[in-house]
Amino acid sequence: MINIPATIRISLRALRVNKMRSALTMLGIIIGVSAVITMLAVGTGARQRIGEQMASIGSNLLMVLPGSTTSGGVRMGAGTQPTLSTGDADAIQKECLSVMYVAPVLSGVAQVIYGNQNWSTGITGTTTNMLYVRDWPLSAGRPFTDEEMRSASKVCLLGQTVVDNLFGGINPIGQIIRIKNVPFTVIGVLDAKGQDPGGHDQDDTVYVPVTTAQKKLFGTAFPGMVRIIMVKAKSADDLASAEKEIAELLRQRHHTGQKQDDDFTVRNLTQMMQAAEQSTKVMTLLLGAIASVSLLVGGIGIMNIMLVSVTERTREIGIRMAIGAKTWDIRLQFIIEALTLSMIGGVVGIIIGISSSEVVSLIFEWPTVISPVSIILSFGFSGFVGIFFGFYPAYKASLLDPIEALRYE
Amino acid sequence: MALIETQNINKIYSLGDVEVNALKDVSLTIEKGEFIAIMGPSGSGKSTFMNVLGCLDKPTSGIYLLEGIDVAHMNRDELAAIRNKKLGFVFQGFNLLPRTSAMENVELPMLYDGLPAGERKEKAMAAMAVVGLAGREDHHPNQLSGGQQQRVAIARALVNNAPIILADEPTGNLDTKTSIEIMELFVRLNEESHITIILVTHEKDIAEFSRRRIFFRDGVVVSDELSGKA
Repeated sequence: MINIPATIRISLRALRVNKMRSALTMLGIIIGVSAVITMLAVGTGARQRIGEQMASIGSNLLMVLPGSTTSGGVRMGAGTQPTLSTGDADAIQKECLSVMYVAPVLSGVAQVIYGNQNWSTGITGTTTNMLYVRDWPLSAGRPFTDEEMRSASKVCLLGQTVVDNLFGGINPIGQIIRIKNVPFTVIGVLDAKGQDPGGHDQDDTVYVPVTTAQKKLFGTAFPGMVRIIMVKAKSADDLASAEKEIAELLRQRHHTGQKQDDDFTVRNLTQMMQAAEQSTKVMTLLLGAIASVSLLVGGIGIMNIMLVSVTERTREIGIRMAIGAKTWDIRLQFIIEALTLSMIGGVVGIIIGISSSEVVSLIFEWPTVISPVSIILSFGFSGFVGIFFGFYPAYKASLLDPIEALRYE
Repeated sequence: MALIETQNINKIYSLGDVEVNALKDVSLTIEKGEFIAIMGPSGSGKSTFMNVLGCLDKPTSGIYLLEGIDVAHMNRDELAAIRNKKLGFVFQGFNLLPRTSAMENVELPMLYDGLPAGERKEKAMAAMAVVGLAGREDHHPNQLSGGQQQRVAIARALVNNAPIILADEPTGNLDTKTSIEIMELFVRLNEESHITIILVTHEKDIAEFSRRRIFFRDGVVVSDELSGKA
């Protein structure tokens, strides 16, 4: 029959009597918990930012890039020669079963002019499929029509940054802009996407039909060629098979011999992003682990103080035993003392941890995310530390011989 | 049935190679309501006997019946329960909890008995009144005189209605006048409430208050005499 509320009162009184010591003991836990909270907030913030950027690129993406070509035994740098064509893109769309959308890209940088405003930006010649590949909806207007694609119409979609720089407050739909002195009608505006993982502003772009880009803007010696083919696989599981299907198809289309190297490269963007995410995850864990060490040290501090306290109060323990305290009465008293120290330390640590995360994100402009999970976790962990490190001193106290304890000076 | 009955109690301490026989075949019977002084020189085994009676120590061999129940073979927690319910302790050094009010000191045994707060308070107040300390409930031990501290300890021993009070040199730290007051309190408790009092002392004057004197020497009872109170 253990009287819990009374035991709690006894424990709290013991802590009040030694205010300074209790505060110093708590300090260890406070530092530990606030370090864990801050580190997890920093790590989670980084992860969330990468996750957002990953989502902004689009999911299940493959990128087909021109590879190195060999001309008369001389191997040229990868990407120096266009090897991919709109025909390749169409063939991938038609023949590769694991592929959902394909969008060829022919891009370049050009000056864009509207009225007395001008802006230098990336021009991307592509198809309407690009919007599906990139999961990029329009905030206004409409995408290219098939007719516009076929006839290489001079129409364009603008990224938000371009709209902001050229138009200010004016509605851009229906306006005429000039790209390389070619007039284009604005038919739509792309939704704002923000930065990609590399820190580039994705909204600083203009989309035009690939056919138009080939014929009117970036005409090359190789008609029908494109720089990149973007591919969206049906699902994450289909990425590997899509990669294989594309490679097979392109080798066949490019008449690549058995012993010849591919003149293209297929890159798995999702995989790259996942690798980046994985590394921040590892970083978060590492930061958390380092912070946990200080929590552990705080716990050992509690144990240390509790052991001193048990020795100091040997006589008190003897009195309590003589009067009828059972093994668990004594144990609980000391465990509750340790638990109280660690829990109060935990609460203060959480408050300090939250504020220092705010400070970190303010000063270093680093996004920090304080998840409820990390709060519950560190609170629970500090409670666990209290019980764990309080148990041994409590156990020691409960095993004292009452006669010897009463005689202790 | 006797309140306390010991049969051939032996207590042997092993100090390395040497074995000390602190109690040798001690057989005693104590009836309810007795007032006993246990006397003897230091090392005679009287303190060991008190510890055994107080269920703080177990005999090496022999039988100890408390109200007919064999307590010699109980475990720690069972003994703790017996100490809580059947025995009250009064020590030479008072052994009150420091930085704890008199009231809370008196409440302590009930705390371990699991009584609700209201009942604890009521009983503690009553016990404080019995020992003549009504009104001093909130005083801390260091605000009380030696005699008053010992009264608090006696109140603590009384509060669970234990039939037996074991007092180990209860007046050892007190002056003569206070000693007599404390002894008179014991006598009153013994006569009015029929509480069995067993006290250890080496002072003849203190032993005079008892009605039965048991002398120990080298672990054996050398005399056990009844006497009319002086």
